[in-house]
Order: sequence, then structure tokens, then C-alpha cells
Amino acid sequence: MKTLFLTLKTFSATGGIEKVCRILGKALYEDSIKNEGIVQICSMYDKQQDAFNNRYFPAESFRGFGINKLRFIQEMVQAGSKSDVVILSHINLLLVGWFIKKISPCTKIILLAHGIEIWYPLNFRKRKMFRCCDKILAVSSFTQNKIMEVHGLAKEKCAVLNNCLDPFLPLPSLHKKNEALLKKYGFTTTDTILMTLTRLSSKERYKGYNKVIEAIGNLQMRYPHVKYLIAGSYDTREKVFLDTLINKLGIQNVIVMPGYIPDEDLEDHFAMSDIYVMPSRKEGFGIVFIEAMYYGLPVIAGNIDGSADALLNGKLGQLVNPKNVQEITIAVANVLDNKTSFAPNRELLMKHFSYEAYKEKLQGLIGKYYPQRSNSSYH
Amino acid sequence: MCNLQKHGGPDDAGVYSCAESNLVLGHRRLALIDLSPSGHQPMFYHQRYVISFNGEIYNFHSLKNELIKAGRQFHTQCDTEVILAAFAQWNTQSFAKLSGMFAFALYDIVEKDLYLVRDPSGIKPLYYSVTNSSIEFASEIRAFTAAENKKENTNWPVFQLAYGHIPEPVTTLQDVKPLHKGCFHKFNLSTGADSLQSFTHYSYSDTLHDPLVSLDAIKASLQKAVGRHLLSDAPIGVFLSGGIDSGIITTLASGYQHEHLKTLSLYFNEPQFSEKKYQDSIIENLQCRYYQHLLTESEFQQFFPSILQAMDMPSCDGINTWFISKYAKKNGLKAVLSGVGGDELFGGYPSFGRISFAGGLQKLPAALLQVARYSGIKKMKRLPFLSLKGTKGLYLLLRGQFSTRQIAQRLGATEKEIWTVLEGQPMLPGLTTLAPKNEASWMELNIYMQNQLLRDADVMGMAHGVEIRVPFLDDDVMKTALSIDPRIKYEGALSKQILINAFKNILPETVWNRKKMGFSFPFHEWLSNSAFVKDTMGNGNAASKLNYRKFLQGKLHWSHLMSLIILQTRGVN
Repeated sequence: MKTLFLTLKTFSATGGIEKVCRILGKALYEDSIKNEGIVQICSMYDKQQDAFNNRYFPAESFRGFGINKLRFIQEMVQAGSKSDVVILSHINLLLVGWFIKKISPCTKIILLAHGIEIWYPLNFRKRKMFRCCDKILAVSSFTQNKIMEVHGLAKEKCAVLNNCLDPFLPLPSLHKKNEALLKKYGFTTTDTILMTLTRLSSKERYKGYNKVIEAIGNLQMRYPHVKYLIAGSYDTREKVFLDTLINKLGIQNVIVMPGYIPDEDLEDHFAMSDIYVMPSRKEGFGIVFIEAMYYGLPVIAGNIDGSADALLNGKLGQLVNPKNVQEITIAVANVLDNKTSFAPNRELLMKHFSYEAYKEKLQGLIGKYYPQRSNSSYH
Repeated sequence: MCNLQKHGGPDDAGVYSCAESNLVLGHRRLALIDLSPSGHQPMFYHQRYVISFNGEIYNFHSLKNELIKAGRQFHTQCDTEVILAAFAQWNTQSFAKLSGMFAFALYDIVEKDLYLVRDPSGIKPLYYSVTNSSIEFASEIRAFTAAENKKENTNWPVFQLAYGHIPEPVTTLQDVKPLHKGCFHKFNLSTGADSLQSFTHYSYSDTLHDPLVSLDAIKASLQKAVGRHLLSDAPIGVFLSGGIDSGIITTLASGYQHEHLKTLSLYFNEPQFSEKKYQDSIIENLQCRYYQHLLTESEFQQFFPSILQAMDMPSCDGINTWFISKYAKKNGLKAVLSGVGGDELFGGYPSFGRISFAGGLQKLPAALLQVARYSGIKKMKRLPFLSLKGTKGLYLLLRGQFSTRQIAQRLGATEKEIWTVLEGQPMLPGLTTLAPKNEASWMELNIYMQNQLLRDADVMGMAHGVEIRVPFLDDDVMKTALSIDPRIKYEGALSKQILINAFKNILPETVWNRKKMGFSFPFHEWLSNSAFVKDTMGNGNAASKLNYRKFLQGKLHWSHLMSLIILQTRGVN
């Protein structure tokens, strides 16, 4: 059993897709041990040294091509045609999958579908290559439905493989809020802190933090201790846009935008916060929701994208119309009035989104593509 | 099953059984830390977790302090209890925090989850078998014979003759396999769900590029590792062969002035094999009690059949370890430090010098490689192995024993059948990103050391109730060695030059500036004189007899003969 897993980036970026690639790489590595197979994980843009000292799988199972696209395509087509299963982590790798399928029709091509990259019609070339895939694994039901609707793909060619919690996430500690961190941001222990973790980009303004700011403006009088932490790197244009909005609402002392937060500091930020709110409109799944719930935060998300899967259609948190400030305001007020009743059900969360559950689903979805092992005997 | 492994755990025995979950955990204890009855196993923690543990956790003191700060309570001085408390605190993330050699079964009574766990270097063995209705596990393969429900893996002789051992994940039994190192396998006894996960792994990283920083890192990590490995409440010693690795460990260990420290060596009447003068040169500068044992041919002949019986999985070596462990026991030692790992990490084997050339040959057409066997030249016989892709082909060329043709003759099979078996298992990663000498190191660590040296050390040590510890495989030493740029690590006129440079100020020059002998015996002569071997091989088929004649003529290495003897004694005709 030979598996080739192709990615654009695995270690050299910190986004959701890269996180999925690292976790899936680990799962495939472990499956290769269990089933006595071989897996190779190859990234077009990563350098080899990007994989050094990573915790997910041995660097020996990884190859980084350091942007050498031609070499990547050439070698991966060759390696893929000798593999039983090739997994493409992104639609931009379709060309490689298409070539492999041409050379080796028996090789199964599986494509991961995350979100907006696959929600819209494809050009003629990609549409043609898209048909080489034996299976599309969508990160949410929303993405799956979009694929079927937009690309006319048959349901049996699609399946949902929700993202999962990173198995290396530190265990949620019971310790209280980190006072030094509170102080750093000018918060106090009596404040109720709302949190959003996202890149603040003027080009991708779909995460809904501007709506949350407006909602906080509505809540200020009734809940004077509410504070809002919007964590993540931002571009200047977006910062100006948000500052203007904040000044207009007169809530300068309520909103904090600290910029990029390193992964190792995230646990403290989640632990410091009381509610995670991100009424996004274009979320493929939203790993950050399940991470926030893992750390015990009540969650508010949008109801018109893949976020619904992450919140189990509302079983784990509140879903709101992300365009409607009033709905967001009410949802936040609901939690502020009764924090404990909106705490996520941990058992349900782990049942659906633990790494273990992910591996079990993965095995069910791709296990059938592997040839049965036959132990030849010389007798 | 426990009774079949009694030799490795003579101090205590215990069983935990849970009728509700149809679970039984057994344990045989070799007491090294907290010798009191409070170390009895299977051990409980808060009536929720129960463990049967084999090995040592060298960082248990610091973990214990961390856990006490987190509010955990302890009732013993054992490292076993620390594993349980760590699991209660951090769940499966606790496994990566353990530094040491370990294999254990831990059961969570509330969740009904059984965890089988093995250390990152695979020092301690753990074999298991899973069927639809049962899970069985043990430290030795022989334990499975108690259940009498396992069939023999009839392919094992092929691997033995090709490799000189049985490479993981193959075993001599069908459906019994070793737990992969650095992994845990979780089973829920209610639902039957299972999950195998890797909690840590070692990789080559080439992140240390400065020679002086590298030297300092080697010195510091090995010094600390030796200190940690001396942790024991029972008498502990060091195996001293006379080579660099054991010389360094002995010297560093003596620096700790450990009250129990004794050094232990073998020497021979046959001067060409005796390393006594090197052992003497190390010992004379140190403050420790040393024991040197003269191993004679008559003693060897007396015990050779018993050694074969002590063997668990077949191996073409391990006899030396059996004798040195015997003397360790005789001198009252319960644990000994060994230099295993030094050659693999720092380039002490001939394979490091040969791998680049072999890699070049591997690019030749398979047909051309196959022709080599007809050349009549002994060294060319294994050349066809290079048609097996990647590391497997390289290993069998550089380290293998018999050619496929010879194996087929001995086993009465066709060559094609032999090729099919060897191609099928084990599946090894393509190591195309590694520098050639790091590839040799990977191969020596993961194939030779893993399947032969560590197995021999565990089984032959335990045959006398002696625990063998390996400081070179300490977490910090491993990480340091694997992170050094290969251009620095393997540079120099002498083999393991970087290790020599790091410690030459504390080692006599006669030890580091010498030809390598290994930890060897006057084996050829003794096996040639053995009536037992003569009888055993005399009962073999034509190929066995032919090979025995070749051995007597000096045309077959003793370790190759060992594989044939093992086949004979295990009834492979």
C-alpha cells in the first residue's frame, strides 16, 4: 500500500489548510504503520528544512520542493503513478492528479475540498481535470453541497471529512485567566472578553468582526464590562477601516487588536476569553470554532457557510445570520446573561471532532482504496 | 504467559483481572527503583488507572515534582506511579513527556480504554496480537505459546537467512507483531474501537552546523544521559568492551562516583580477540570496582545450547550479551549500561563508508545486478539485492547474509518465492532526502540495532534478570546526534571522529586511536570445535551440510552459520 499526499504548503504557513495538511499527514503516517504501508508527503512550496523537528511525522517521510514547480510536477507524476492512492490537498494540484490518472488509471485520486476555492465555477481546463478525481473529500456539508450544486458532481463521488482538533493542542487547563495577559491588553478580571481570531484583511472582509463591533456598540450601555479582542495580523487599510468604525461608535476602550498571536500563546488567549464570536460568511469549516470550544468557550458563528458543521448545526453553539447585527447582538447577550448554559458540550465535541474520530472517518473513506495485503508464503 | 517470562522478572509477580471487561494484566517484576513491596504491579492509581510496566523512566523525579505542583499525590517512590499520575494529568500527551525505555499496558477502568505504549527508540519490546474477539500482548514472543492459538509465520526463515534477524514488523508468529516505537495503540474494550497513534519520533534535521557547538552538545547531552541512566536503587554497572563507546560511558559514569558502580568485561585466552589491554588502560585511570572475566572455550561449549534456548526471536548474535549478563548477575548487578547506539549515531560501521558506492550501483539495471550472482565472487553474491528499491536493497547488500539463491536452496523454495517474500515486508520509507551517511545511520538504527542489538540486549539480559541500559539512545543524545550536519558529524580520519574529539581528553589514546574489534568472540574456532553444532548441522539438508563444510573451510562467517543453526534447532527442514 503506497500513498502519496501532495500539498502546496504544509509547514511554511500557519493557515487552516496547512493545519489540515499537517494533521492529515500524521494520520496517513500512522495508517502506514498500522497497515504496513508507505506514505510520502510532498509540498510544492515548502523547503525540506521546514519539516525539521516537526511533531506530526518524520521528516524522512516528507519532501519539500521549495517552489521548484516543474520538478515537483515531474517527480510527483512519476511517484504518483506508482502509488495506490494519491491525495491532493488543494484544487490547484489537479494538474498533477490528472497526469497521474492518465499514466496509471488504477491509482485512486482523492481531492480535499476546503472552501471558497471550490465553491465557484471552474474554468474549462480545471473542469476537465476535476473529473480525474475518484473522490472529493469536503471539509463540511456546506462545501459538499456547493460542489454538487456548482460542479454537478454525483453524490457518491463526494464525502464529508470534517476537520478535527490538532492532537498536539495543549490540554485545557483549569487555571484562571492569565493576569499578566489581561494587564497587557488593559483588561480586568471583571471584564467579559469576546474573542475573534482571524487575519484582518481588507480584501477578505467576510469574517464578520465589523458586525461584532457594531453589536458591541449596541450592548455597551447594558453590558459595560464587555471587551472585544480581535487577534490576528492585519493590513493597514483594514486597521484604518476598523478604527474609523470604532471611533464612530465611541468604543475605543473596548476593542483591542494585538496583531499576530503565535500558536504557543493561543491557549492563554482562549483561556482569557469568555466567548468566541465570528459570524463569518465564507468559512469552509472553521477549525478555530472547534479549538475555541475545546478550551470551553461558548461560540457564536454564521449560519450560511461551513461553520454550521463545526457547531453541529447549532448543537454546540449559536448560529446567526452573519449579515444581521441584531441577531449577533442577541446571541452575544444570550451568553452574557447565562454563560454556563451556552458552554459547549465537551463530550459531543470530542465525539465528532477529536483526532481519533477523524482517523476513524478517514479510514472508512479511503481504506477501501487500498489493496488487500496478501502475505505470500514460500511454501 | 507471565510464567514463561519469569527469568526477566524474578523479584515479584502480580495479576489484575477485571471480569466485567474480560481483561487480565500480568506482570513479573525486576525491582530496580523503590525495591519495597509498594512497587508491586499491576499498580493502581486512584482506583481508576492500572498499569503493567516494563522499563525505566529516567526523568521521573522531575515529572513527579511537576505533578506534585499540579496537585497530584504519590504513595510510592516508583517511576511506575509517575506514569500513572502523568496519564491522569495529561492523558495520552503524557507519553511524550516520558524519557526512558518503556513498554507498558495501561488500563483506564472508567473509560474502558486499554493503551499499549512503547518508547521512542524501541528499546523495550512489546508484541501484540489483535483478533475480532481478543487482544493479547507480551514482552516476548515465547509468551504467546501459552495460549497455543497462534500459528507459525512460515516465512520467518527467509528473513532470518537474508537479514540475520527478523525485521520488524515481522515475527515468527502469524498475526503477532511488535508495537511500533514511539506509538501507542488504544483499544476500547466496550466498543472494540482501536486507534494507533505516534506520540513521538526521531528524525534527522541537520540544524547544527557549527563544529564546536556540536562537540559541546554531544559532550553535555551524553554526560547528562549517563547520569540519568545510573538512576537505580539496586547495584548498577557498566559493560566495558575496550572500545570507544563503552570507554566513554564507563569514564563518564565513574565521574558520578556512583556508590554501586562496577565495570564488567570479558577477555579471552586467544590474544587476537582479547581487548584486555584496552580495558586495562581505561580502568587504571578510574575510581571504580572492576571485574574482568576470562571466557574460555569450555564454558562456551557448556552453555551454547542454553543460549539458543534463551533466545526469543531468532538472531544471529547475542551470545556475547548472554555471557556478560551472566557475569553481571554473578557479581550482584541488576542493571548495566551499554554502549549500544554509538556506532549507529556517529558512523562506526563499514556501511557508512560503503553506502555511497552501493547507492551508485543501485542505479544499474536490475538485469545487470542479477547477473552478478553468476560471477562466482563471494562479495558479488548479494549484489542482486540492490534490485530491491531503496534502503531495503542497500541494507541487504551491505548487511545481509545469504543470497536469494542460497536461501531458496536451503529452504527448498524457488528464488521467485524468496524474492516475493522479501519484497513484501518490511515496507521501508524512501530516504531520498537524507545524505548518504545519514541514510546509513537510519538503516543501522532502524534495522540492525532495532531488530538485532536491542532485541539481543533485552532478551539475553533478561535471561539472567539483568537490565541493560543504553545511554546513547537517551532522548537528548538522539536529538543532538540527529541534528548535526552530516558534513561535520562524519568528518575525520578515524571512525566516529566527532565522538573521539568530544571525549579524547578523558579517554586514553590507545583506546580511541586503534582498530575497531567490536564486542567479539573467538567464535569461528569455538563453533568449529562444537560437537553440538556438528550434530545439529549434520541433521540438516544438503544445503545446510554444504554451508557447514564451507564454514569449516573458513568460507562462511560464523554469524551466517548461526542463522543456519537456529533454523535447525527450530525444526526448519
